[in-house]
Amino acid sequence: MSAPAAPTPSDHGHPLEESKFQIYVQIAMLLAVITGIEIVTVYLPFAKWLLVSVLVVFSAVKFLFVIFYFMHLRWDKPFCTILFFIGLILGGGTMFALLKLFGMANSIPLTSL
Amino acid sequence: MSSTAAAGTIDHHHDPTTSTGIPNKKLVMWAFLASDCMFFGCLISTHLIYRLHPPPGVPQARQVFSIELTSFSTFILLMSSLMMALAVNAIQKGNLRSLRSSLLTTIFFGCIFLGCQVYEFNNFVFEKHMTITNSILGTTFFTLTGTHGTHVAIGVFWLLLMYVRSFQPQDTDARPYWFLRNLLHIAVFIGAIVLTGYLLIWLAWAFQAGGFTLATLGKFAGANVLAAIADVACFLGIFRLGRTAGPYAFDEANAVDVEMMGLYWHFVDIVWIVIFTAVYLLEYI
Repeated sequence: MSAPAAPTPSDHGHPLEESKFQIYVQIAMLLAVITGIEIVTVYLPFAKWLLVSVLVVFSAVKFLFVIFYFMHLRWDKPFCTILFFIGLILGGGTMFALLKLFGMANSIPLTSL
Repeated sequence: MSSTAAAGTIDHHHDPTTSTGIPNKKLVMWAFLASDCMFFGCLISTHLIYRLHPPPGVPQARQVFSIELTSFSTFILLMSSLMMALAVNAIQKGNLRSLRSSLLTTIFFGCIFLGCQVYEFNNFVFEKHMTITNSILGTTFFTLTGTHGTHVAIGVFWLLLMYVRSFQPQDTDARPYWFLRNLLHIAVFIGAIVLTGYLLIWLAWAFQAGGFTLATLGKFAGANVLAAIADVACFLGIFRLGRTAGPYAFDEANAVDVEMMGLYWHFVDIVWIVIFTAVYLLEYI
């Protein structure tokens, strides 16, 4: 367990600390708006690949805003970002590999073949 | 544990006493979250592979899902993330009162999310006839969303413990029964959550079965008098136990504990962001 960090006078009264409240509220509103747009998007009469791409991009934007602002990665040491992205890339890679290896046809019950 | 750090004097992003410069608690949490990414990655991809081709008699995912309810749950979880971020911000400035109100709001939103999930599962099983055993879609869906719901429930419990911990007195010798008092605080909090959930589910079932009438409400009240009284007593207990005199041992030096819990809570939110798109929205395209 680490001991409490030593005081650093440079942080006292830092304007960024003061403005974080506004940043958090603005990001939360942005995330809510993006969620609303996502819901509307699924009903739009466009090609499936385009809609899926748009949804993936929106999800990625929401994901990145939460981890970099709400989870403080933007202000923390880069090692936290590296550590998390190792897991994220491994998890994403596993997802990609599984989806490539097993297509949708694998869910057809054997009894109906 | 106790510290008398003045508000705004601690660097919350760097810790010179560790070899990495990162507080150890925070580092452990990031490592855990990285491993949880792989866990949820497997569950989500399994659902995506097996979501189609249900056996005869079992509905397709789109016939089962309710986009309105899921959108509401998503919005609630996003707002709980905001409140969690504000809670961390509050304790980093040494503002205990703001921390407590933010934690209570986060707990409230977490409970709403869990309530929505209970309603959704109940609806899927008893109304839509999609169970965990009658199709692979049901198996993968309930495993994935159930695992996420369990994470949320653990998060709510952790928030509750942190809220109660913030009442630990600085001078424990002057208040020798503080630990028992905090245990009682946790008990009445859990009692209030469980009883309120029970009463709301009972009320929803009563209205579904008997319609939205005064007779149904009267029948509900008659059958649940004791539970309602116990629920009110629990809420009064929370209110009373939350009015203690300071000074408290919990202050800015404990910000890393709240931040670690916040990381877990935000992770639950980002997993839901992915589930909302990959599991729910994709079915409507």
